[in-house]
Amino acid sequence: MVLHTLRLATVPLTFTTSRLFLKPSPTLSFFSRHVQPRKPSFLLRAFSNSSAVQDTPLTQTSSDSSAARPPQWKAAIDFKWIRDNKEAVEINIENRNSNADLEAVLELYENMVTLQKEVEGIREERNNVAKKMKGKLEPSERERLVEEGKNLKESLVTLEENLVKLQDELQHVARSIPNMTHPDVPVGGEDSSAIRKEVGSPREFSFPIKDHLQLGKDLDLIDFDSAAEVSGSKFFYLKNEAVLLEMALLNWTLSEVMKKGFTPLTTPEIVRSSIVEKCGFQPRGDNTQVYSIDGTDQCLIGTAEIPVGGIHMDSILLESSLPLKYIAFSHCFRTEAGAAGAATKGLYRVHQFSKAEMFVLCRPEDSESFHNELIQIEEDLFTSLGLHFKTLDMATADLGAPAYRKFDVEAWMPGLGRFGEISSASNCTDYQSRRLGIRFRPSEPLQTGPKKGKANLPPTKFVHTLNATACAVPRMMVCLLENYQQEDGSVVIPEPLRPFMGGIEAIKPKLR
Amino acid sequence: MGLHTLRLATVPLTFSTFTSRLFLKPIPPNTLQTLGQFSRHVHPRKPFLVRAFSASPAAVQEIPPTQASDSSAARPQWKASIDFKWIRDNKEAVEINIKNRNSNADLGGVIELYENMVNLQKEVEGIREERNNVAKKMKGKLEPSERERLVEEGKSLKESLVTLEEDLVKLQDELQQVARSIPNMTHPDVPVGGEDSSAIRKEVGSPREFSFPIKDHLQLGKDLDLIDFDSASEVSGSKFFYLKNEAVLLEMALLNWTLSEVMKKGFTPLTTPEIVRSSIVEKCGFQPRGDNTQVYSIDGTDQCLIGTAEIPVGGIHMDSILLESALPLKYIAFSHCFRTEAGAAGAATKGLYRVHQFSKAEMFVLCRPEDSETFHDELIQIEEDLFTSLGLHFKTLDMATADLGAPAYRKFDIEAWMPGLGRYGEISSASNCTDYQSRRLGIRYRPSEPVQTGSKKGKASLPATKFVHTLNATACAVPRMMVCLLENYQQDDGSVVIPEPLRPFMGGIEIIKPKLR
Repeated sequence: MVLHTLRLATVPLTFTTSRLFLKPSPTLSFFSRHVQPRKPSFLLRAFSNSSAVQDTPLTQTSSDSSAARPPQWKAAIDFKWIRDNKEAVEINIENRNSNADLEAVLELYENMVTLQKEVEGIREERNNVAKKMKGKLEPSERERLVEEGKNLKESLVTLEENLVKLQDELQHVARSIPNMTHPDVPVGGEDSSAIRKEVGSPREFSFPIKDHLQLGKDLDLIDFDSAAEVSGSKFFYLKNEAVLLEMALLNWTLSEVMKKGFTPLTTPEIVRSSIVEKCGFQPRGDNTQVYSIDGTDQCLIGTAEIPVGGIHMDSILLESSLPLKYIAFSHCFRTEAGAAGAATKGLYRVHQFSKAEMFVLCRPEDSESFHNELIQIEEDLFTSLGLHFKTLDMATADLGAPAYRKFDVEAWMPGLGRFGEISSASNCTDYQSRRLGIRFRPSEPLQTGPKKGKANLPPTKFVHTLNATACAVPRMMVCLLENYQQEDGSVVIPEPLRPFMGGIEAIKPKLR
Repeated sequence: MGLHTLRLATVPLTFSTFTSRLFLKPIPPNTLQTLGQFSRHVHPRKPFLVRAFSASPAAVQEIPPTQASDSSAARPQWKASIDFKWIRDNKEAVEINIKNRNSNADLGGVIELYENMVNLQKEVEGIREERNNVAKKMKGKLEPSERERLVEEGKSLKESLVTLEEDLVKLQDELQQVARSIPNMTHPDVPVGGEDSSAIRKEVGSPREFSFPIKDHLQLGKDLDLIDFDSASEVSGSKFFYLKNEAVLLEMALLNWTLSEVMKKGFTPLTTPEIVRSSIVEKCGFQPRGDNTQVYSIDGTDQCLIGTAEIPVGGIHMDSILLESALPLKYIAFSHCFRTEAGAAGAATKGLYRVHQFSKAEMFVLCRPEDSETFHDELIQIEEDLFTSLGLHFKTLDMATADLGAPAYRKFDIEAWMPGLGRYGEISSASNCTDYQSRRLGIRYRPSEPVQTGSKKGKASLPATKFVHTLNATACAVPRMMVCLLENYQQDDGSVVIPEPLRPFMGGIEIIKPKLR
């Protein structure tokens, strides 16, 4: 409701700029037609490890100051395509439970096109006047032309200003339009998600089991209490074998994923907030998942997807360099605003954690097969660790704005007594690359014409981007501790990890 | 200079707010005398030297004291258990120490405030006693006029007491603010003087002779596709970087190897929160606010990013009393570290040498006071052993007084040879902070030996608690180690050899070779 008010207050402001009314302008009419409040909040994307969809305000329009400000960057949204596929886009918005305002986008777009034409028309008129003035003229005629030229110039200045504003407004409104959806994705809410694969079965315990919090305490592995004093709730220290287990998980994951041809990376964990926006996250607003740095335009990353997405920002890649496959290790920071209840217990939802994230940039025609490769890698990793899990083809209403399709893996957590999300693999097609400006130039020669030089190069295309969790450490720890606990209170380490933690086979209670 | 002005503007404010209230109520003349002592103290103080992070070269940095910037009228959020009596009784030694350490701490101000506080405390006690006497008298049978006089007297005493107690709290707060800038005392063996006076404790190896033109780590990082500063400057800003390919494995290997080596010495491994309350940063002796702060703050909270794992590890046992038998507590903590590096410029900031974010394994020890010197030696020995195993040429320095941060009683830095940069660069730092941090963090222990005095039962027979000593030492600051390894182990063909101890931790890789493109 607050947002609604805010929106009502801010939207007209952009339009009723006094400057518009000070000068005569032939275009006023279609501007004012547009002054109408839009629906309150838009569905934007939450981090893939959180609930997939979150009610957060639209990029740029939430906080008091930003709505009237021009956007800092421009998403290369294909408005013509949207206009030409209006019905499909409308259905997609509805299926994804998005509040994107397609009507407003189309109206703004048409207005912009009309205004562009008008600007061109006046430019032409002005050129004509300038041409006329080159000849010999009666003084009165010259004066008339000077006057006309002056008027035209004034109109042009005004119209060009209006055009810029209209383009900015179009950017604001259009960014909330979600990606299109893969035709096989089930339509509906969370319950509609389809099981793609199921591996293993819940382990049967012959003794009363503990949750990972209890195990972490009994084995002196996790310290939430000190962290609450030092940092706040939902922070933690890992201790003793848990530190080695984290290292082992990351080292093993890295080495497994590198075998598949992925390039390892570590990334900055502080990034400009524009990069966060370009990846489809919301760095500001009351419900933001993003920690901001005081006094700068920087924030902490919630996932390595953000800095990896940014590596090739504003560049044109060679087709031959694609696919680019990265496995990035970073710490991740999330405010977890609004998170509450049992799902937030212990390590399941925390403010800071380690994660290895896969990220692929590829040609559009290859993204579906890479999506399959990514989910396959995830399934292989979790199978090697002996987890019981299911892979879900997430339903439309559970997709974040950037995802064309998303596969989540949910693993059995016996101590918590439920399945919990441990990974997420999304094909974002060109949603992120249109914002990040990542293109490639197809290498096949163009058929048309034998001209030389640049004209001969095929036009650039946007790459497709995909991201997938390889190992989100705390949730893996929940699984490993709870599934591999023994009657004597110890926890067995799965075999693949043992070489990466100095051969330790079990975590045993310490003597005090 | 800006700071000085700030201080001039803010300090009197604290006093004027408080004096105006004082004069609103009638108070006995002897209280006014105390006030006179107060107002004598109103003079601007010099800016204070507070500690920069140990891995930065400038050990001492000119930043305003904790709490004294725009918030100087605000109450301190926590209290350092500073031993004022000891300071007063050792005034001359403290004064010399302040001078040797090039600190601007205002000892005169501290002692004056302390004396005022003691006097005011006595006065408060006196008035309380008077009030009790009046109350006692009123219990008996009294003439109505006498009773009225006593009621009046009691009322006026109560008013005085309220005022005086408020003054006392303010005085204590002011004392806290001013006293926190007093640096730790200094080990008698520490050389007195500036950076040039630091004494070489040990020197290992010699600079490698190269038979070919060498590259610096930036060039090697680019040629071997190991480090990407350009993308990071677009995505994050300057002095951020991505590690790529073998550099990622090398970071992992450095950390894994360091952890495993240090754990062999009985250290408990930890990972830590990297966002902490700013009070913890202060309690460890760092300055989380102000123009020149090294600390990134989180918007809209009182939290900041850690510049070193020393901060969250120091905080683990905050406000607790440990068993003597639990000591020493030896930790090896892995964390990412974040530093604004405000004010850093010049050649010393090249490439990986000075960056906003890096990985580090840090040792931290809590021990009995009598053991801290031994553990300081153990820590520097571990560092020297680690760097010797990696085949580095380095020297260990006993840092001179003016190069010590406020918390350090003594600090050993290790500077290693970086041939590409053509100079020695700091790669580690080991500090004995004695009870400087524990007095702020509230970390005590209870000696286990039975107390001789008396035979009373219960709590009275427990020995008094003491503050632990804390020590911290870099085990591995990854980017600076990478500078050393890349620059020292480069080969004629542009490749870089991996030192043997690290090879098992990076899948047996022996050499980083140029990639085919």
